[in-house]
Amino acid sequence: MLLVHCPVCGAEGDETDFHGGGQAHVRRPATHDPVNVSDEAQRDYLFIRHNAKGLHFERWRCDRGCGKWFHAARDTVTMEFKAYYGITELPPRELMEQATGEWAGYFKDKLK
Amino acid sequence: MPDLYVESPLAHRNSPERLSIYLREIKDRGMVDLRGIASDKKFMAAAKKVLGLDLPKTPHSSVSWGDVKALWLSIDQWLILCPRAKAAELAAALTAELGVIHSLAVDVSDMRAVLRLEGEGVREVLLKGSSLDLLSGDYKPGAVRRMHYAEIAALLHVVEDTVFDLYVFRSYADYAWEFLLATAREASKIKLFGKQAGPF
Ligand SMILES: [Zn+2]
Repeated sequence: MLLVHCPVCGAEGDETDFHGGGQAHVRRPATHDPVNVSDEAQRDYLFIRHNAKGLHFERWRCDRGCGKWFHAARDTVTMEFKAYYGITELPPRELMEQATGEWAGYFKDKLK
Repeated sequence: MPDLYVESPLAHRNSPERLSIYLREIKDRGMVDLRGIASDKKFMAAAKKVLGLDLPKTPHSSVSWGDVKALWLSIDQWLILCPRAKAAELAAALTAELGVIHSLAVDVSDMRAVLRLEGEGVREVLLKGSSLDLLSGDYKPGAVRRMHYAEIAALLHVVEDTVFDLYVFRSYADYAWEFLLATAREASKIKLFGKQAGPF
């Protein structure tokens, strides 16, 4: 059981009060370079997701509360939430630096 | 405009019998869904001009002025309560006053059914369908909370310490009513073990 906290309205509840929205910060290739989108890049954008062990970044919705989407950084091993942050925001700097596995280097250009 | 005709979604349901609390439907409540940007001063001022109150910005709170009440639903959404006969007029007045301001006011009086629960032990009855800690200090009179109740979406409004209004979408009214008839039975009243800290 996860105990989730909404950073927008402060509601706290288990995951049935919220809606998990899957991996966060997925980048749409056509946003960055609409002319050159390879089939592989489009396939990865649509279907391929990280399966992180440890620190993971996710989208959640305060389904039975304020109805807003937000971001969360969670450890998939300990189930501990490391941080909650806005839906238009990047993870806290120290968590971007800590990102490992499939997330390693994902925020490289944001840390400059 | 033809005369207002309101058909309750609970018109033909079983009436409460041998319950530990007092349960009834509130049929004459008008509801207006108001959306807008809380940080937009023009929006807040226009809403105040029509409603006579400052829309609450504090999550899970409510404000009232005369027979109008504003329940906080989200950072950009409020449910305005008023007498049923006044709802259409109020929504129209809001729309007119808000003009080109990025906002929306809609009469949603038929969207939800309102169940009034009253009496000692009302919190314990609601606990049977909820994961919220209704005995905590978060649920003082005036508190508003959208919630997961008996596996459906609901809105809870603490009117007084032992008086709660439960709003459910109209199509679920029947289900919520039957759920309450079963869980609020006198015979199924629950007692909390040991001494509990009071809600306040
Ligand atoms: Zn929330």
